[in-house]
Amino acid sequence: MSKWYQDTEAGHDVFTASRVRLVRNLEHYPFPVRLSEADGRELVEKLETGLKDIGAADGREFERIPVGSMDQEAREALKERRVINGAAVSKEGPESLLLSADERVSITLDGEDHIRLQCICGGAGLNELWSEADRLDDYINERFDYAFHEKYGYLTAYPTNVGTGLRAAVTLHLPMLSVGKQFGKLVNEMSRFGVAVRGLYGEGSENYGALYELSNQKTLGMTEEEILSLVQQMAERLAVSERKIKSLTLRNHRLDMEDEVCKSYGVLKYARRLSVKEAMTYLSQVRMGVTEGLLKLSEPVNLYGLMMEIQPANMKLLASEDEKSDIRQARAAYIRKRLPELA
Amino acid sequence: MLCEKCKIREANIRYTEVVGGVRTEHNLCSHCAREMDFGHYAAVFDTDYPIGRLLSDLFGLDAEQGESEEAGLEQVVCPTCHTAYSDFVKDSRFGCPDCYRVFDLLMSENIKKIQGSDTHKGKRPRFGHDEGREASGKSEKEKLAASIGLLDSKLKEALAEEEYEQAAAYRDQIRELKERLKENE
Repeated sequence: MSKWYQDTEAGHDVFTASRVRLVRNLEHYPFPVRLSEADGRELVEKLETGLKDIGAADGREFERIPVGSMDQEAREALKERRVINGAAVSKEGPESLLLSADERVSITLDGEDHIRLQCICGGAGLNELWSEADRLDDYINERFDYAFHEKYGYLTAYPTNVGTGLRAAVTLHLPMLSVGKQFGKLVNEMSRFGVAVRGLYGEGSENYGALYELSNQKTLGMTEEEILSLVQQMAERLAVSERKIKSLTLRNHRLDMEDEVCKSYGVLKYARRLSVKEAMTYLSQVRMGVTEGLLKLSEPVNLYGLMMEIQPANMKLLASEDEKSDIRQARAAYIRKRLPELA
Repeated sequence: MLCEKCKIREANIRYTEVVGGVRTEHNLCSHCAREMDFGHYAAVFDTDYPIGRLLSDLFGLDAEQGESEEAGLEQVVCPTCHTAYSDFVKDSRFGCPDCYRVFDLLMSENIKKIQGSDTHKGKRPRFGHDEGREASGKSEKEKLAASIGLLDSKLKEALAEEEYEQAAAYRDQIRELKERLKENE
């Protein structure tokens, strides 16, 4: 079965991916941070047993992955593919993961909270993701009693998740908007509307690939529908600005843009060594070229998926034993192979 | 400050009473505090850790040992998971579901600050939660609980705006709903 990030990206432009995450905890159990190793193990086993048929209920296959006993790099790779969050990479103890074969649904058990349920897909689609998460949430709730407070709603380890426990997020590709001088200011402004924008890949304050995730900051005092529509609206606003700048540039500086995009394609197609930063920068340009019709590829390729696969930990998993000694060389070879010819 | 009861000894205990959303503060010396009628809390002054410890800390009994009020607060401990208020301040993370009840008074303002609200709206568990797995009779109860939550936030708003008449009306409505909720059980 293909992964969600290997499906076609046709029709996606600024909206690169959407994600809905729910945090839930069971009654009568301390949160993972206060759970002893033995109790944590018991809880994980209980959850795994109770949810063993979730695949049949959801109509897809699920794999059980013992994250807690995996090495750092394997966990890092899951994080790069957005299956688990940063906290789950470093957490010690009997953490476990139920992952659907297409990696669209992931349920982290005993991470920061007892249950972290996430649904993710390419392009736009927050509402569909929410109905799916809502259904799965009910399925879990049928088997386990949740910690729920009349006033505070669903109780979570961090008070920043309490209430709905819902984080709705849209990944936006903003190659034009993000190079503008005002972008930092714009990002800061967003918090006034109750949403946060953060760079997805990069080191320090540097962003690689112009991918940004916009998500709700507040989880309490708003209904799920209100949160979804806020995130959707704000993401659309940024998308509109990005498209506006793109069409202006296309109208006034088409040749410059074409030149940039084609050079990027050329580097990716012929380079013999690529760092993550280089690969991300050029893939971002190529993605923009494809969505704007400046580049025509002979067959469709999911460029966002490719961006995830060439991240350091995933690249090591994909590289053969001989290639592991020079990962930048492996990256260049992999991209050469995956990037289709021009039509 | 002198103890408001005996007016002889120095007050080293601040006892905050919250009734129907209205806060009253009392400043007492430890001697008078022991003798005062705290209703069902009276026992806590004699019993041991953790409940006794927790509430005596809430009342600030530790201030007797010359510690500051802040230090007293930091020693509030959740009886279920032993997370101390100081742990919470340090990690900004709770230890168990009960922490929300234990630290409610200390935390609700902060939660409101970070979340812009302190009352949940939206989805509620559709199964279980204190009433077995049958769905019967739940919707009525759920509705009541939801209205109480709503009125409670309205009450707080009214108090903040110093609209006491309105607040009193909300308080009476809440009381009535709570009684109906009890009958429902």
